[in-house]
Amino acid sequence: MLRKEQNDLLTDTGPGTPMGRMFRAYWIPALLADELPDNDCPPVRVKLMSERLVAFRDTQGRYGLVDEFCAHRGVSLWFARNEECGLRCSYHGWKYDVTGQCIDVPSEPAESGFSKKIKLRSYPLVERGGVLWTYMGAADAQPPLPEWEFITVPRRQTFTSKRFQESNWLQAMEGGIDSSHVSWLHRGDLNSDPLFKGAKGNQYNLNDARPVFEVVESPGGLYIGARRNAEDGKYYWRITQWVMPSFTMIAPRGSHSVHGHFWIPIDDENCWAWSFDYHPTRDLTEAEIAAMRDGKGIHVRYVPGTFRPLANKDNDYLIDRAAQKAGRTFSGVEGIAMQDASLQESMGPIVDRTKENLVSTDNGIIMARHRLLRAVKAFVDKGVVPPGVDPVHQKVRSAAIVLPPDVPFTEGASEALIARPAVAPASV
Amino acid sequence: MQSESARMSSAAEARFRVQAPNSTPRAITVIALDAAAEIAVRRLADVGWRHATFFTAKSPDDALSDLGGGHCGVEEEIDRTDLVVLIAGPGGHAHAAPIIGAACNGRRVMTTGFVVSAASASDRDLSKTLAQLRPWSLMVVIAGSDEYLDDMMTALRA
Repeated sequence: MLRKEQNDLLTDTGPGTPMGRMFRAYWIPALLADELPDNDCPPVRVKLMSERLVAFRDTQGRYGLVDEFCAHRGVSLWFARNEECGLRCSYHGWKYDVTGQCIDVPSEPAESGFSKKIKLRSYPLVERGGVLWTYMGAADAQPPLPEWEFITVPRRQTFTSKRFQESNWLQAMEGGIDSSHVSWLHRGDLNSDPLFKGAKGNQYNLNDARPVFEVVESPGGLYIGARRNAEDGKYYWRITQWVMPSFTMIAPRGSHSVHGHFWIPIDDENCWAWSFDYHPTRDLTEAEIAAMRDGKGIHVRYVPGTFRPLANKDNDYLIDRAAQKAGRTFSGVEGIAMQDASLQESMGPIVDRTKENLVSTDNGIIMARHRLLRAVKAFVDKGVVPPGVDPVHQKVRSAAIVLPPDVPFTEGASEALIARPAVAPASV
Repeated sequence: MQSESARMSSAAEARFRVQAPNSTPRAITVIALDAAAEIAVRRLADVGWRHATFFTAKSPDDALSDLGGGHCGVEEEIDRTDLVVLIAGPGGHAHAAPIIGAACNGRRVMTTGFVVSAASASDRDLSKTLAQLRPWSLMVVIAGSDEYLDDMMTALRA
């Protein structure tokens, strides 16, 4: 349970709000690089944390992320012409470069210098690992570029997708650290999904549907360990990473790729669910990439030409009650991502956390909120840089590992929880 | 026409949600298992909670001591609670954990283990405490600050 003012504080990310200010201390994923594939390609509308922006790639390959609306009459620059190192508004020809600086006002004499007085708000946009990252905070506090392992491995080893989710970012993110739902909602997928099946760890999962959880604070966020019985009195651990504010990484299975998410606010009632799969030591196979493009694992199929999932609230998520009754899926919705999204969207745009009844196994969620609330207060009151901004906090991995019973998983898996180049992930 | 899922998950529909209470209070029993834990439990109790009771159990006998010095049996307390929070310090002797844990297990009462002062604990001391708590805890929490206990109790509607 949260008090209403706490819920509002964590879910409001617009400009000037406490959580919005803290979110703006981080580099966040804004677009897939493929959305701006060529120099002078069409601009793309981008809405992040309740700010309407437009992204473009200029003639020299520079990326820009600027206020969507022309400073003259408020026309959307999505209609602009992307030409000769700038976006030219289709209405009266005002032109802007990637920094948002107006560089031409055709109706004014060039010698007047009027264009120099016009500048749109802009944010840096940088390509890393096939993702375009932006930083929307104070220019003098810009942190180093992101160092998440999935964007630092060679491109052949990584695959990233994004999907539109019609809920506040927090209820989506909390699904990513709610380990206890996996044994229920996703139970049908472990042995059938091509990106999960065949791992020995799956049998530990299926043989022990009542895991015991341990939640431990990490430098950047939390480790959430799910413990199941293994052979000879040992424990099988699945350790999820949460790094503030909204990065989650799920424990791997067998030799499959490692995967996780970013949950990025679009506005207070919608978010982007970014989903990545990568392998630290090998290329992804053609079959794996084909499966990811086909919506397997944590990815989805789309409504063509959009990032909206094919199964969405407008078609009742294509719910299949016969499959539910037969046990092929637990909820009747197909695919791990939409099983989660359908339920999280059903809560409403912003769930009323004053009415929830959390239980002991929800301590991962409780502690994440605790850390977010503390970090927001420290950031707003004292300017303390929040956890997760430091690239050291980003060099993490999830892990699946078998350990003796008396060993803290943070000790037994200490090396496995750190991203190390060319070292295989700890996986069972 | 919108699908039922689309209409019913809209912000406009949220105002039609039933406003009646959807739960009755749960009883939470917080038990300090050693001296370090007792300090944290006394501080926590001073916050004032409506549905929580606080005890110490620093010896392996079958009794809990409330913070005023009174006593009650483990089984008597477990019979009237919904959740037991076992609190222990790193490297301490949680002698009473097996008795309390067995009583909870027999009555299917949920248990949470919490390690106080964990941020400054050595791996060895943490291991020792975890070895005592793990067999009897369905959830183990290792927080950077003992103040997390306050937020956890609030979240659980104590």
